[in-house]
Amino acid sequence: MIITKKKDFQELMENIKGYKSFFLIGCSECASLCGTGSQEAIDALTEALKAEGKEVTGGFVAKTGCQVLGTKTELKPFKEQLDKSECILIMSCGAGTQAATEIFEDKPVYPTNDSLFLGNMTRFQMFDERCSLCGKCILDKTGGICPLTACPKGILNGPCGGCKDGKCEVSPDIKCAWVRIYERMKRLDKLQELCDNALEAKDWSASIKPRTLVARPHKEEKKK
Amino acid sequence: MSFKDALNSGKFVVTAEVGPPKGTDIKEMIHHIELLKGKVDALNVTDNQSAVMRICSMAVCKIALEHGVEPILQMTCRDRNRIGLQSDLLGASILGIKNVLCMTGDHVLAGDHKQAKPVYDVESVQLLRIVDSLNNGKDMAGNELKGATDFFQGAVVTPEANPIEPQLIKFEKKVRAGAKFFQTQAIYDINKFKEFMSYARKFPVKILAGIVVLKSAGMANFINNNVPGIRVPQELIDELKAAGKEKALDTGLNIAARHIRQLKQENICDGVHIMAIGMEDKVPIIMERAGLI
Repeated sequence: MIITKKKDFQELMENIKGYKSFFLIGCSECASLCGTGSQEAIDALTEALKAEGKEVTGGFVAKTGCQVLGTKTELKPFKEQLDKSECILIMSCGAGTQAATEIFEDKPVYPTNDSLFLGNMTRFQMFDERCSLCGKCILDKTGGICPLTACPKGILNGPCGGCKDGKCEVSPDIKCAWVRIYERMKRLDKLQELCDNALEAKDWSASIKPRTLVARPHKEEKKK
Repeated sequence: MSFKDALNSGKFVVTAEVGPPKGTDIKEMIHHIELLKGKVDALNVTDNQSAVMRICSMAVCKIALEHGVEPILQMTCRDRNRIGLQSDLLGASILGIKNVLCMTGDHVLAGDHKQAKPVYDVESVQLLRIVDSLNNGKDMAGNELKGATDFFQGAVVTPEANPIEPQLIKFEKKVRAGAKFFQTQAIYDINKFKEFMSYARKFPVKILAGIVVLKSAGMANFINNNVPGIRVPQELIDELKAAGKEKALDTGLNIAARHIRQLKQENICDGVHIMAIGMEDKVPIIMERAGLI
């Protein structure tokens, strides 16, 4: 999921200082799990805005905020409240914010959150970054642990000289990705594989932005 | 005799290093280069060491050449992508720089530009392959070069890393990627180093043991607590402590000289790499006490 955290409230207030009335849109997916886009988060922000003398015309939690057509449909019953709002506040990730930008052509849309990374929830509202969406997965060669993400240098062929007692040079809180990979490959009796297969330099052409994917090519073909 | 020829001749080789200054005043640096001229077989020029921005390694390598000292261009993957690295390697080649030491490089968070975007488009093993490829007349994308390079390429290894196994796997990858020589992280326990050497001797590469001068017991303790892959044994710390404040540095120089003498006499490795870290003027003293000059 996409991990988000609330923007500093003063920063948000600075961004929206020119507007008086707002409609709030959360997201029931990632942002809800992060506590930044749930109904509770909407209620809390509504209170905070009112305390600053702002008006909140309404709010709702979109099913999947980054789904443009679905969110547009879900917003139909809120037309009156939306019309009364000068500004839309999006409580999701950057993808959700930009879905709203597409939906509301003539209204300012502001994010209330900062989007951080693609993460795994390890315990309630505790998140780890494990995938960098590089476009060409190497997990098949590294025992299922991504060194591109787990190592701050993204080293593909073993630990750097900064590894100390199995910990990373960047922070003692991080276990060295290559020590983890070594231990896992050892457990799986695949050390020889790790030793023999030096990985090539990454092909970054698979991550040139912006990327587009049509996952249903048969439908596209039908159109033609 | 060139650094490469010296290593291949079986001579006990000595390298030291010069850290480029931060700024354009190079008087002191040139003084250090002159001081080491004729004494060391080659001089490493560090590449924005500890991720602190300084004069680039290539320019200082050229200055070393002009002063009659053979340089080893240190090259890290932190600040340049594969295009920049290869371009710089070609540039170094036409400047007459023959040796290159391939490293991944300390993270930007260790340095003085913590907000920089670290590159690491490739890492040490892949950089060694790049050098090998350029030597064979092709860039890493397989394009023909109009004129190949002729580098003698090396890498680094940390014989006392903990855990050691992943480091040894990487060492072997570096050998296969074309590393011809290795300069090690600082060595203080010769017996432990011998264990590493009995493993490393299985490979057709030359090994230079890293020597870092201990200035005091405090420095030794700091290293043990902070620097990865270096372990100063307690007896050396005791020796420095016993020397007292005034004689600590002199004792540190003696320890370095003693270790070098033993490494050479017992033919443990192919040479030493002395890292004086700001005390370049002490390198000749160590060499003298070690019986090298």
